[in-house]
Amino acid sequence: MADYREAPLATRPKTLDPAEYFNLSLNQRRAEEERAGLRAQLKRQYQMQLNNPHRKELIEDPALTRWVYARTNPYNHFRATKKTSLLGGLFGVVPLFVLYYVLKTDRVWMR
Amino acid sequence: MLKILIPTLMLFPTIWLSPAKWLWTTSIAQSLVIALASLSWLKWSSETGWSSSNLYLATDPLSTPLLVLTCWLLPLMILASQNHLSPEPLNRQRTYISLLVSLQMFLILAFGATEIIMFYIMFEATLLPTLIIITRWGNQTERLNAGTYFLFYTLAGSLPLLVALLLMQNDSGTLSMFTLQYTQPLYLLTWGDKLWWAACLLAFLVKMPLYGVHLWLPKAHVEAPIAGSMILAAVLLKLGGYGMMRMMVMLDPLTKELAYPFIVLAMWGIIMTGSICLRQTDLKSLIAYSSVGHMGLVAGGILIQTPWGFTGAIILMIAHGLASSALFCLANTSYERTHSRTMLLARGMQMILPLMTTWWFMASLANLALPPLPNLMGELMIITSMFNWSYWTLILTGLGTLITASYSLYLFLMTQRGPLPSHIIALEPTHTREHLLIILHLIPIVLLILKPELMWGWCF
Repeated sequence: MADYREAPLATRPKTLDPAEYFNLSLNQRRAEEERAGLRAQLKRQYQMQLNNPHRKELIEDPALTRWVYARTNPYNHFRATKKTSLLGGLFGVVPLFVLYYVLKTDRVWMR
Repeated sequence: MLKILIPTLMLFPTIWLSPAKWLWTTSIAQSLVIALASLSWLKWSSETGWSSSNLYLATDPLSTPLLVLTCWLLPLMILASQNHLSPEPLNRQRTYISLLVSLQMFLILAFGATEIIMFYIMFEATLLPTLIIITRWGNQTERLNAGTYFLFYTLAGSLPLLVALLLMQNDSGTLSMFTLQYTQPLYLLTWGDKLWWAACLLAFLVKMPLYGVHLWLPKAHVEAPIAGSMILAAVLLKLGGYGMMRMMVMLDPLTKELAYPFIVLAMWGIIMTGSICLRQTDLKSLIAYSSVGHMGLVAGGILIQTPWGFTGAIILMIAHGLASSALFCLANTSYERTHSRTMLLARGMQMILPLMTTWWFMASLANLALPPLPNLMGELMIITSMFNWSYWTLILTGLGTLITASYSLYLFLMTQRGPLPSHIIALEPTHTREHLLIILHLIPIVLLILKPELMWGWCF
């Protein structure tokens, strides 16, 4: 991965631009090149799927899958902290009692 | 009544004896004929309110709109299932349609029942085909969880109802709706009587669902295949409302004091579920939560026991049944193409399927209660009768209407407008079957603008 070389006509990413990295240590430069290599691999994977003439289905995005799973399964990771208990009480318990009190008072005493 | 029940029963031989090429055509055709014949129930010729009766079954202006809705939905359900069942072996397709038909039978018997025990038995019986449809033909592994929630929530709610009904049978000797409407109001004073009151209503509140006990609904709706979602949203929820309206006859004087917590839950539920809808990423989940909100409004309308409240409740039940079912069908067309329910994924559909956008638009407008559609008429009647009951409810119902409008528009804009994802390249064009399915949902809503008397129920 560290011997990443970009395509002939592509521009070098900013972090690998020789004119920009005089203040980067050798380790950092190597790490940046590795990361650029990984990004290029991912892009290549996407482009292969995108331009595959036999593909009929959608391209699966693992980030989207993880995000959707996180949005739909909050209770598996729920913990009763002070904040969550306060929010739960404020929106789920208190309004019921407040509304009961308001409606009952209105109907019984004001009419 | 028999002229509808016997053809429905005869759908079983039709399904099992038709050759494979004609299975779907014959079952849809026969169920359409039954649906058209059920329209004859709409002519109420008797003065007593109950008509077309025999010893055990009758129709009255309350049950007739729901019966016609049920009969109308069967061909639509079979039409909707045709595509996703086509890879399955023939006998499994036949089993699926048989499950739908048996569900239909139980529903007709439930809505037409005159003995409350018969209504209870049919109410429970509808759970079984629905459970089988959800757990066997659903799409994700969560369907087992969904089936469990669905079954046990409803059962836990309805076992107290059985006890309450048997107690009442013991006390008053009869549970026939014909005679119960003329009995003296019961003087219910003790704590035991209050528990009896709650037991009578709990099953229906769970079914409706009321906000606190609504957890089964999003799971069941999301995991069910399209026909399961349609029948759940359109009819099974209304079983709860219908049951509540029937039981109110007997429960009278106590309801004035004991209904407050449930009205509060229903009203707060509209706002909470509306807000949850705005945060949903899953298309079917959004439509499911919107069902909870609308049914909360219906529950509020029924619990205040005024004529306008009841009328608004029935109108909203019918209109919501059609609109919600239409939205589920539209969501299914999107799901069948992209195999994903994530709204973010199937955006910008207006660019490629413009006529489908028209139907999405109409269904979203129906959901947000646009005048002159009956959705608005029902909501307006409930809101005004609740305003009469107590001025403060207007804040909640008004806010609820606002949130409903915003999430319905959000639903439309997320799925139709916006940039089309660049990697969606091979979507089938819309089949005529799908257009037909959605038109058959939307045309009755539009036609009901012209003759709402069909839906008003017996309070007018």
